[in-house]
Amino acid sequence: MSGAGGTSKGAAAALMAPALLVVAIVFLAPLVRLFAMSFEAKAGPMATYLEVLGDPIYRHVFVNTFVVSATVTVVAIAIAYPTAFALTRIGPAWRTLLFACVLFPLWISVLVRTFSWMLLLERNGPINRALVGSGLIDQPLSLLFNRTGVLIGMVQVLLPYAVLPIYAAVLRIDPALIRASEGLGASRLRTFLSVLLPLSMRGVATAATFVFLLALGFFITPALLGGPASMTLSMLIDSLVNERLDWPLAAAASMVLMVAALIVVGLAGRFVSVRAIAEAHR
Amino acid sequence: MSGRVWLYGFVALTAAYLVLPIMAVVPAAFSAQSFIKLPPDAWSLRWWTAFAADASWRRTLVTSLQVAGLTTVVAALAGTAAALGIDRCGPRLKLLFGALFLGPVVTPVIVIAVALYAMARAAGLVGTLTALVLAHTMLALPYVVLNVGVSLGGLDRRLLLAAAGLGAGPWRIFRTVTLPLIAPGVIGGAVFAFVTSFDEVVLSIFLSGPTVKTLPVRIWEEIRVEYTPLVAVAATIMLTLALLAALVSRLMTKRAAT
Repeated sequence: MSGAGGTSKGAAAALMAPALLVVAIVFLAPLVRLFAMSFEAKAGPMATYLEVLGDPIYRHVFVNTFVVSATVTVVAIAIAYPTAFALTRIGPAWRTLLFACVLFPLWISVLVRTFSWMLLLERNGPINRALVGSGLIDQPLSLLFNRTGVLIGMVQVLLPYAVLPIYAAVLRIDPALIRASEGLGASRLRTFLSVLLPLSMRGVATAATFVFLLALGFFITPALLGGPASMTLSMLIDSLVNERLDWPLAAAASMVLMVAALIVVGLAGRFVSVRAIAEAHR
Repeated sequence: MSGRVWLYGFVALTAAYLVLPIMAVVPAAFSAQSFIKLPPDAWSLRWWTAFAADASWRRTLVTSLQVAGLTTVVAALAGTAAALGIDRCGPRLKLLFGALFLGPVVTPVIVIAVALYAMARAAGLVGTLTALVLAHTMLALPYVVLNVGVSLGGLDRRLLLAAAGLGAGPWRIFRTVTLPLIAPGVIGGAVFAFVTSFDEVVLSIFLSGPTVKTLPVRIWEEIRVEYTPLVAVAATIMLTLALLAALVSRLMTKRAAT
């Protein structure tokens, strides 16, 4: 185990071989093949990219994907910050309970969680019935098959990914600094803005990266809760493959989505390690 | 003081928002009506008997369990071996292989799904158990590698030296020292691999066929058209299995901590 040298290197390679083979055959090779397919349109090698990036209909999809992902990120961070802060302040029993509430949803399939939202957000569902029954509104709200539904569902599904990194960052802040700020007469808001927030900025950046990255490629939730007007890039890719059967165009759209994701990871790489992203996935 | 009350009230609402909506499928599954109304006007087990009596739904559950079982075995074996291999590499190679295994985690799933679908079509593997197990193994591997990697990181290397000093060979050392000590990591990774496969929808939608179809794919196909209490039964089964897995994983980490 500890011995270095030729045999150890050979052993390391042999141990990694099966997993590497799976990654090569099931991940790398199909992606390379898809990349090649994106240039195979009859209209010429770059025709797919010109169409995907130039057509106003597709541009609408890009804008919608970006707006949805950015909104989900901002809302998730706004909810996650106070939650993460509270996690560092409450007693151990409450902390265990709250942690369970944050981590438990990660075990449940996104499909089941989205299906639950469909039942709740329906026109005659319990939420609308409660709102109309209480006299708050006269007509049921349309919460499903539009952007509202997508936002309600996606924020809930992605919220845990925002809470965990912010919690880790707030936990590292020395409580004496907050006491000192308050002792010097700073208001709660002032303490938050000039002590807490700057010191936990790394955590916020990590959280924003996770949530934005996952939101960009989200498929199940927007496809089920959204309507035709709120199509996202992943829904477009699905329809290009399964309805229009236009493989080169679907391949080009996939490459655009992948490059967008890589840019997010690359930009965030300054603050965040990719490893941390995967660890927070658990 | 009032700031505290506001904060705790907000956090309680957040906790409720995270957890309560997930439960909505459960009452829907115990409805006596032929459509979903929450809460149901009358309760019954008729949709559970209907699920048990329906051969095509039953088959999707069996397929899901088969795929998840096979994925767990393959991912746990290959992933543990890979983690042991990475552990023997220098810091630079460690980083490289770590990044390689994490590729599937940061790539949008729909892109992997379309790429795999194209490949599986060309190879005639769409709608086969092989395609589903391979695809799920690729998704589950990073979690096994990470979990076992963490266990290996906490391993006291002096124990290995001691075993070697007492004359044990590499295989004996692995079997009697390394494996028992990293077992919580391996089991934790395996549980996660099972859930990853059992819950997986996107790759399965593209790789399933008319005869080999997983439970989530059937649910997906149904709720795009209309949703009946029968689908809620299927969703409740998925929820229950995931809960069990979460409990097992929690017990494992507790045991590892003591």
